[in-house]
Amino acid sequence: VGRALLYLLTAAPLSALWFGLLLAGAIAIPLTAPTPLVVPVLVAYRALVWSGARLEAALVRDLLGVEIEAPLARFGAKGYLGRVRGVVGDPALWREQTFLFLRMVLGGALAVAIASAIGASAWLVALPAMYSSVDFDIGSWHVDRLGRALALVPAGVAGLAVSWFLVVGGARIWPPLARVLLAGGAGTAGSTATAAGEPTPVAHALRRALPFHAAFFVLLNAVLIAVWAFTTAGYFWPEWTLLTLGLLLAIHGWTVLVQGSWLGPRSAATRALRVHAGAAAAIGLFLVCVWAVTTAGYFWPMWPLLGLALLLGGHALTALAATRDRERLTERIDVLTTTRSGAVDAAEAELRRIERDLHDGAQARLVALGMSLGLAEQKLASDPDAALQLLTEARVGAGEALRELRDLARGIHPPILADRGLEPALAALAASAPLRVDVSAHVPERPPAPVETAAYFVAAEALANAAKHAAASHVEIRIYRLADVLTVVVVDDGRGGADPAGSGLSGIRRRVEALDGSLRVVSPPGGPTSVEAVLPCAS
Amino acid sequence: VIAEDLALLRDGLTRLLRDNGFEVVAAVGDGDALVHSVLREEPDVAIVDVRLPPTFRDEGLRAALEARRRRPETAILIVSQYVERSYADELLADGRGGVGYLLKDRIIDVDDFVAAVRRVAAGSTALDPEVVAQLLTRRRHGNPLDRLTPRELEVLALMAEGRSNAGIADALVLTVGAVEKHVASILAKLRLPPSETDHRRVLAVLEYLRSTSD
Repeated sequence: VGRALLYLLTAAPLSALWFGLLLAGAIAIPLTAPTPLVVPVLVAYRALVWSGARLEAALVRDLLGVEIEAPLARFGAKGYLGRVRGVVGDPALWREQTFLFLRMVLGGALAVAIASAIGASAWLVALPAMYSSVDFDIGSWHVDRLGRALALVPAGVAGLAVSWFLVVGGARIWPPLARVLLAGGAGTAGSTATAAGEPTPVAHALRRALPFHAAFFVLLNAVLIAVWAFTTAGYFWPEWTLLTLGLLLAIHGWTVLVQGSWLGPRSAATRALRVHAGAAAAIGLFLVCVWAVTTAGYFWPMWPLLGLALLLGGHALTALAATRDRERLTERIDVLTTTRSGAVDAAEAELRRIERDLHDGAQARLVALGMSLGLAEQKLASDPDAALQLLTEARVGAGEALRELRDLARGIHPPILADRGLEPALAALAASAPLRVDVSAHVPERPPAPVETAAYFVAAEALANAAKHAAASHVEIRIYRLADVLTVVVVDDGRGGADPAGSGLSGIRRRVEALDGSLRVVSPPGGPTSVEAVLPCAS
Repeated sequence: VIAEDLALLRDGLTRLLRDNGFEVVAAVGDGDALVHSVLREEPDVAIVDVRLPPTFRDEGLRAALEARRRRPETAILIVSQYVERSYADELLADGRGGVGYLLKDRIIDVDDFVAAVRRVAAGSTALDPEVVAQLLTRRRHGNPLDRLTPRELEVLALMAEGRSNAGIADALVLTVGAVEKHVASILAKLRLPPSETDHRRVLAVLEYLRSTSD
């Protein structure tokens, strides 16, 4: 709920930003449309909208936990017409604009509503602590006494409950919208599964003891109250046992509750934190009760409460940091495990393919070649003409075998990549593609060979898909190295709908992930398809 | 001079050339040795493998270009297991003849290969059909080449490989006169000036193809 609330509240500052952006676009583009000036304006506007969409996608991902990816921006071909057609004709632009608009209007309104609901309710709840210092009237009803202030607390609590529902409900609107508008329907819902651990022996004993503890509490107090009723019946002294033993029972009960499986995912650290929180709340309540039944004057429990809160806060912070560290490590281990097995699988499949190709291709041809030569040797004396024909056949066969071996070698590792590096290799790739390809590269320093190879095959695969499946006519390949990160982006203008789990793309993904990189494929139906690989170059 | 790091191929190539009336003055295994022997022996032609030690990348090509820079009259025939258009561009960059770039596969067809060596040594060009094919792909729309007939495209490809009219006539089983007619028609359609020598014609055609393929 905390993250959902944060997400909903981010709409407030962002709505101002999106308002400015959309307005600027709506003014600047029509104004410059008849002039060539519109080209830089369009490109800048597209880049800004795309950055906005990316930011929103990141917010949805991090705060709402829904895995979505915004497609990469398409800027079209160089020149006036190309840019206008490329940018304005990009369905992703219109979807992203819609999402930003919704966040601006709906999100902004919701943020204001939630913030004011929470603020007002919290104020009402806090009123008993400050009724004397503030002036507050409801009609003619002047809140000037503790009783009246206390009477308003339930209203505040109800208000908080309403805000809670607003937050939970509001947070449900955005993921489907984001999935459709930001990711073009290509997002996948993230799911987390947590295994329920076995309860520890201590927890077990605590749970078994709880009914006895409760029974003991009820019995003892019943006895004491009976004694009080029959004897003095004046000052209600059993309140002290009720309170102190009640405190113990409450802490015990809470501890057992926390161990129960229905309170969500639990690590030892979270459990300890929850026990701590419950105990602190119980102690606080105990102190307030003591204060209420005794002096009820100066609110002295304020100080111990402050101390408790500080302790709890410190505990929560360290626990949170520790949990995060552990989560990061666990995640890293998961990633390494998957990518390692992926890399092994990919290498295995590749080796099998090479073996098959060699066996069916060059090897078979060499056998045939050997046979022709053997026959020619036999016939050389008796039938020189036939021998000559066999020798010609053998020569042609050797040429075929060579051609097959060359194709195979190129598929394993294109020679020009090793010789000259990524840029010339991609240029050669682009030149041999059956569609128009623009390559822009900025790779000042050659990355390690495995990274280069992976980057090359990402581009090759994306290009092959664009030509084969997407019916694209134009592809942009951008490749650049910033510090120690090499990024390959391939965007086409095809019909989209690529399956990221298809054999070609998943092979590429395994290859990229084995290098600790990441591959993102966004291909909503209707296009465009964008493939982005980010590869760390640290050797 | 032959520069090839695999002894098996180096010896085979040496024997093949000797049997066909060439004199092999040096057979070396790396780029530095190539440059040295070119300067010492002053051969008519150097046959060079692209991949040579120590890097096994494009050492051979670099060494050959270096040798040609220091002794410009050296004719160079690059042989390789694979062909890349950009390498051909680098070879042709100085606009003079006497260069060739062939797949090693072509050595199998001994007569053709020997003819290509002689052509290069004589100051003309020999480009592998694969390179020419790379130059001819991707020219689908709105290109002057669309105006050529399929037969003329075939002739153009052979011209780009560096063959003479007689060579083209041989390969396509035509008369030399018919080839001359096709050539004239091609040059007219592409608005290329007729040249006095085969070699100049090849360079003009290649220049044309390179300029239109990007």
